Amino acid sequence: MTILAQSEASKVPLWLKRHETLLAAILVVALAILGLLNERFLTLDNLLNQGRFLTEVGLIALPMTFVIITGGIDLSVGSIVGLCAIMLGYSWKAFGFPLPLAIAFAVGVGALAGFVNGLLITRVRVPPLIMTIATLALYRGLAEGVSQAHSVRNYPEWFFSMGQGQWLGVPTQLLLLLVGVVVAGVALDRTTFGRALYVIGNNETAARFSGLPVDAIKLVVYTLSGLMAGLSAWVLVSRVTTTRSDMGIGYELDVIAAVVLGGTSIFGGSGTIWGTVVGLVMIQLLKNGLALTGVKGDATIIVIGAVLIASTLIASSLQARREGG
Amino acid sequence: MKLRLLTTVMTGIFGLSLAAGAAKAADKWDGADDLPTSPLACDASPAAAPSPKPYDGGQPTGAADKSGKPITVVDVPKLIGIGYFNATSKGMQDAAKELGNVKITTDGPTEAKIDEQIKFIDNYITRGVDGVLFAANDPVAIAPVLKKALSKGIHVVGYDANSTPDAREWFVNQAQFNGIGKALIDSMAKEIGEDKGFAIVTSTFTTPNQARWIAEMQAYAAKCHPKMKWLETVEAQEDNVLSFNQATTLINKYGDKLSGLFGMTSVATPASAEAVTKANLCSKVAVVGLATPNAMKPYVTKDCVKSVVLWNPVDLGYAATYVMRAVVDGKLKAGGTSVDAGKLGKLNVVNGSEILLGSPFIFTKANVKDFDF
Amino acid sequence: MSAIPFPGVRASEHSVIRMLGSQEALLALAIIGVAILVGLDNARFLATRNLSDILLGNAYVAVAAIGMSMIIISGNIDISVGSLIGVMATISGSLAVAGAPIVVAWGLPLIVGVLVMALQGAIVAYLRIPSIVVTLGMLSILKGGLISVTGGKWITDLPESFHLADIELFGILPMPVLLMTVATALAAIWMRYSARGRSIYATGGNPEAARLCGISPQRTVVMVFAIHGFFAGVAALLFATQLKVIQSTVPPNLELTVITAAVVGGVSILGGVGTVVGSTLAAVLIAEIASALVFINVSPYWIHAVQGAMILATVVADILRRRRRLAGALTR
Repeated sequence: MTILAQSEASKVPLWLKRHETLLAAILVVALAILGLLNERFLTLDNLLNQGRFLTEVGLIALPMTFVIITGGIDLSVGSIVGLCAIMLGYSWKAFGFPLPLAIAFAVGVGALAGFVNGLLITRVRVPPLIMTIATLALYRGLAEGVSQAHSVRNYPEWFFSMGQGQWLGVPTQLLLLLVGVVVAGVALDRTTFGRALYVIGNNETAARFSGLPVDAIKLVVYTLSGLMAGLSAWVLVSRVTTTRSDMGIGYELDVIAAVVLGGTSIFGGSGTIWGTVVGLVMIQLLKNGLALTGVKGDATIIVIGAVLIASTLIASSLQARREGG
Repeated sequence: MKLRLLTTVMTGIFGLSLAAGAAKAADKWDGADDLPTSPLACDASPAAAPSPKPYDGGQPTGAADKSGKPITVVDVPKLIGIGYFNATSKGMQDAAKELGNVKITTDGPTEAKIDEQIKFIDNYITRGVDGVLFAANDPVAIAPVLKKALSKGIHVVGYDANSTPDAREWFVNQAQFNGIGKALIDSMAKEIGEDKGFAIVTSTFTTPNQARWIAEMQAYAAKCHPKMKWLETVEAQEDNVLSFNQATTLINKYGDKLSGLFGMTSVATPASAEAVTKANLCSKVAVVGLATPNAMKPYVTKDCVKSVVLWNPVDLGYAATYVMRAVVDGKLKAGGTSVDAGKLGKLNVVNGSEILLGSPFIFTKANVKDFDF
Repeated sequence: MSAIPFPGVRASEHSVIRMLGSQEALLALAIIGVAILVGLDNARFLATRNLSDILLGNAYVAVAAIGMSMIIISGNIDISVGSLIGVMATISGSLAVAGAPIVVAWGLPLIVGVLVMALQGAIVAYLRIPSIVVTLGMLSILKGGLISVTGGKWITDLPESFHLADIELFGILPMPVLLMTVATALAAIWMRYSARGRSIYATGGNPEAARLCGISPQRTVVMVFAIHGFFAGVAALLFATQLKVIQSTVPPNLELTVITAAVVGGVSILGGVGTVVGSTLAAVLIAEIASALVFINVSPYWIHAVQGAMILATVVADILRRRRRLAGALTR
């Protein structure tokens, strides 16, 4: 956390100039415009529904924020989702686990996958980008191999409550995400663990020399990344009622887009959970709003791409001005 | 020292992989998800008409009565950007023009991902359309969102790739799975002979239609052409360069043992034909499969491919549109036995809630030039 | 010229003796090793026809990997290359079908590739946006734009003269292999012996030190992206001219394959290390393994897992080998 000199007679309060606040402002404006263009957009029903859809990516975006703050990256999350989805079904059907155990097993597999990533990144010093590109291929391959192209279906009714049910009117998975957001936000902002992440991202050598258990911390964040991917797989399978080995393909890019859009620097050292949430919501609602307004899928992707670049541009130019160029 | 350890480990991994791979060689991929196959009779006798099943489709709740009025329909195929769905879309537009009171938009994901497809459909539900036409990437996964559409009074009709029956009102089936299996295998047997070997290039093992066709092909070949040798099935996504490389690998691997290639998607077939052409094996290796005529013209006109066996996707889209219109107008209700489909005439209902397009269509050198899709 | 080591380029990279233990040598050995092992199992693998098919069908990956290696060496990454190749292939095919002279059909996509990539490079260099963000955004823009413009229609009825990949120079040298070899050689020589080429290593290894040596990191980055765009264009031509139809969609996972080729080839994501010879050899090895797995009957379900395991093993081995050579501990 930086302490900035108050010497500039700046009339605008600092928090207003933060990337996250500006992004939130852009989000509000965009929502207003889209809401005007389409009356079905800003309804509670639609917004909650979108919350349901963004949970899978959102759960993974939380630990991804941690990972990117430390200066790393994890491209294998999509494949871990696929692997965990398959393991959920497979352990239930082929091993005969009771379904709750199967769910726990699947999440455990995710944590293990993340652990392996973290292990090789910290022990063998494989750069995270390379390591996770390799495991992206490996984990997806494992999912295909284990599933042998079979889907597992016919789950009991209660299983669908996670992905399709609601509690007090709010979709169940969204509640799960909200809990995750609070926990992650508190961890990042208020604990030594969270602070250590920033230090590692800003200057890893200094972090090591100051006695921080850098390797252990990194191991934890990558394991968390895998674990949340496992949770995400559970939500996904529950929502679509089946397992496929191609689940989660492309999630890593969606997650990274949300995190980066939210102001986390890809170089490490800065970023907040709040920013990630805004980025996540923005992308989902933009896609939804554009679709409701009649923009077709291909044009929507173009807009999202442009928004990503534009908002990073705005954020970085503001950052530059704040730090004096 | 560590390097030597690493090299040993790497060689070990490599060796193990080879061993594991070779040991698994017996696992030839044989098709779908444990669903039963029902191969047809070996001769040309038509399939015994199955006893009529009761209607098993879903119904919309509270659908507005738009009989005779203009409706807006969205078509969400498996993916956009491949010739096959461009063709179905064209058929839909043709039917819409004829009917005059149907507006159809085709919109979908750029990759065959079920999750994306679900989101597309969901957005259109929120937007409020009168009907949804779909070709599912996964029959079970798509069911929840389709049921949601039904619950909001939206009519749901599928084509090409089915969902679970209760998630849609009707499904326009191009041909029965076992009929396609029989047509493909018979065509191949006719071209290459009874005791030759063939291989299959498909998209992925988890694409439902392809998986079922291949399962039916295997069952039918085992029953009626037992001497034909099934060599291998390979995946090639929906990418034509990958399909080409895979087909070439198969040709090189089996040499003379390979006499025929099946292409199971509109991407795989032209790519396989190109592989055969490049290998100068046009008269020695037959290529049979699903494809759109434009992509196959260079090969059919040069006699490299004798016939492209399948149905007319333009007709499929056309029929689906007419079915949607009939459903909205109340002309096709649960328990109906046939529907009027414009220039295609009367189409029959089979299997409870499926509408059969008809017999497979065969594109040959004689007629391939008449089509433009 | 090689007397003054540039920052980030270790003098040891130049010694021939060191080269024997280098990633490039290991890859070459692996290529030969795989060929022999598989040949023992199924002699048809070693048929000239098969080996040349492997090369011809995948040369475009190697060419694209040349530019990608430069990008990574300079300390950046590009995940838009797959989409760009799809776009360039479509432009090329559309021009050919519309009757434009073949030179235009081949040349215009190259110009487009250079311009689009240079633009991205400029955003990265001058606007300080991380390359992963710019290229991620551009990936979406290109992918959506391609479908928007073409409506997903395939390009058929290509004129005979369009097929660059089918041309055999002097009747014996197939274009794809020729282009791949020539491009690799030229790029390798340029990167080792020209000041501009070596400045890429410098920019990637230690931009500040590079600046102090009079190299402008920004201009180098733009240059690298532009060159990458050119090679991507050549790759797109090889890709598009292989078959008689051009799908107007983005080839799935192409950027991942190209990055993998560069990474397995020994290009370090930390920047500053690696050669294009390595990435070309790696691209060849990856293609060879894909074919080999089919030949030796690896269960089709496990093919991707085996490939992934091999990538991981290669990458880990490379890192371990590198760590032995470095004096101090890596800090990242």
